[in-house]
Amino acid sequence: MSAPATMFQKIWDRHVVVKAPEGEELMFVDRSLVIEGAAFLGFDILRNSGRRVRKPLQNLAITDHYLPTLNRAAGLAGIANPDIRRVIELHEMNARDFGLEHIDMHHPLQGISHVIAAELGLAQPGLLLTCNDSHTATSGAMGCIAMPVGGGNQLSHVLATQTVWQKRPKAMRIVIDGAIGRGVVSKDVILAVMAKVGIGGGAGHAFEYAGSAIRAMSMEARLTVCNMSVEAGAKIGMIAPDDTTYQYLNGRRYAPQGAEWDKALTFWRTLPSDEDACFDREVHLNVGDLAPMVSWGTSPEDSAPITARVPDPATYATPEQRSRVTRALEYMRLTPGTPLTDIAVDRAFIGSCTNSRMEDLRAAAAVLKGRRVVVPAMISPGSTSIKHQAEAEGLDRIFIDAGFEWRDSSCSMCNGSNGDIVAPGERSASTTNRNFEGRQGPGALTHMMSPPMVAAAAVTGRLTDVRTL
Amino acid sequence: MKPFTVLTAVAAPLDVAKIDTGMIMPGRFNRKYRRPGHPDYAEGFLHDLRFDSSDKPRTDFVLNRPAYQGAEILVTAADFGCGSSRETAAYAVLDYGLRALIGVSFGDIFVGNCLQNGILVVAQPQAVIDTLWKQLGERPGATITIDLEKQSLVAPNGERHTFDIDPTRKQRLLLGLDDIGVTMQYAAELEAFENRHRREMTWLAPII
Ligand code: SF4
Repeated sequence: MSAPATMFQKIWDRHVVVKAPEGEELMFVDRSLVIEGAAFLGFDILRNSGRRVRKPLQNLAITDHYLPTLNRAAGLAGIANPDIRRVIELHEMNARDFGLEHIDMHHPLQGISHVIAAELGLAQPGLLLTCNDSHTATSGAMGCIAMPVGGGNQLSHVLATQTVWQKRPKAMRIVIDGAIGRGVVSKDVILAVMAKVGIGGGAGHAFEYAGSAIRAMSMEARLTVCNMSVEAGAKIGMIAPDDTTYQYLNGRRYAPQGAEWDKALTFWRTLPSDEDACFDREVHLNVGDLAPMVSWGTSPEDSAPITARVPDPATYATPEQRSRVTRALEYMRLTPGTPLTDIAVDRAFIGSCTNSRMEDLRAAAAVLKGRRVVVPAMISPGSTSIKHQAEAEGLDRIFIDAGFEWRDSSCSMCNGSNGDIVAPGERSASTTNRNFEGRQGPGALTHMMSPPMVAAAAVTGRLTDVRTL
Repeated sequence: MKPFTVLTAVAAPLDVAKIDTGMIMPGRFNRKYRRPGHPDYAEGFLHDLRFDSSDKPRTDFVLNRPAYQGAEILVTAADFGCGSSRETAAYAVLDYGLRALIGVSFGDIFVGNCLQNGILVVAQPQAVIDTLWKQLGERPGATITIDLEKQSLVAPNGERHTFDIDPTRKQRLLLGLDDIGVTMQYAAELEAFENRHRREMTWLAPII
């Protein structure tokens, strides 16, 4: 018998090509997703050094951040901004020049990379997956190591060698127990984790989310949880595979079939952390009486139950914290002591790799059915397939009747790459994962929350406890 | 990549906590094309701190003060480079002309990206950073010397501090080695690994 190991250790160890006694290890990359963003930097490095992609079949190009959510049929000609057009064109050219399959703007499987990784079954238990984007950890919910790489040098390294140099992170387990109540969803759980662990709290660690609350979650809910690992400073967040994972994966485009499936399943069942495995750190959380959460500040840890008030900077322990929170409240134009439910919003956005899947759309639609929004609101589904599925279920009608704009799939207003931005000084209720200053556009004020909470805010025009509607 | 051995350069103090990569390189500059070998991302570097909303330099911002022109070292506060993994942030640092960052703590991914681009990142305790800020504030334009081989830095007042760095990274920075070249020295190991991996996980082949 080998020593008890964590899931992270088991998967990591299998992927070490060269072991360094200290420092970094050379890790094999099973699958790499290459999104447009700064990928041209990586491709230019290859081009200038006369190198090629070593394993084109293990790399998939995806365009997601810069795609317009309106008038997609017009293609590149429909994009007015020359910088945006150029990024998309460069990615098309690079995918073609280097022989990568490309899920481009007109592809029927188009979607946000972290959404389609699971949707297409690209993310599978036991794999090591990389993508040149910080929210790559999302796919760790499938029981794999999914980690971000830089768009320039690191990406060029993955493309040229199918490996990446990495320092082994420490293992940290976040145990979440308790049954969440009505109106509370996985986004609330992860916002509560953020508030507890803090923005730098996970630095240098790989998270494993465990506990009864995680086990009870659907696959889509788990993806939302792992998505925000990086907001606590961790590049990797994972959840042990179980029957929920296997049922979700079975039959997807890149999932193994027949005898290969059975073989894979036998292997997958060996992956969860051994019972007496040792973690470098553990955090415990009970979400039994968790209320829906909203963020009030400019850092993901600045979240509180909707029943709370805007905090007073004076109650923070250190001078650094006090000055940071003071600045955050200034930027957010909030006064300490204000009930969160008194904060009026100017717009609402449902989308992003955090919350744009079928369950998110269904939960928001359930709130919106028979109601009307009082502020501008838009929704961008996580993938074109999700958009079609939602239309088949009639959800688009509910959103449109409620006054939401029903857009195409893209990162959209999550970070505004494609020009969908929140105007300066506007306050947005958003299902996104980051509330940094200017994240949704220069001067934009972001409040992060779950899809049903965004729907509730959209119909009342202020932050609202969805349970009271 | 330019080798990093010993650097003596003007250092600028930047006493603002949690400067995330989105502040180092605002999203709207990300979409600009950087021509290989051209410092095209210098403009984006800390843009909204350096310039006001009508694109005029903020004269009170430290990097805009005459004494700190040409600074190649920045002394930063906690959590510099946290947030999004955009490598353009490291390119922006490089294109602006910086060769080293000294600070309390840094975003993980950002550090990796800096080192890959030949920018040395040095962590120091808050107390050391405080004295550096004080000295640089009192003597604008003063220099710091960083010796990577010795893993030491010398403050303007002559005080010497040591720092830690991953040995593999140190070696590559010293030699200015390209990572791909280093890795391909292990081509045989990689091939052997791949063969075994494929035998064990047959359900992955051959498609992505
Ligand atoms: S949806 Fe937002 S967080 Fe996710 S990949 Fe796109 S920009 Fe990044």
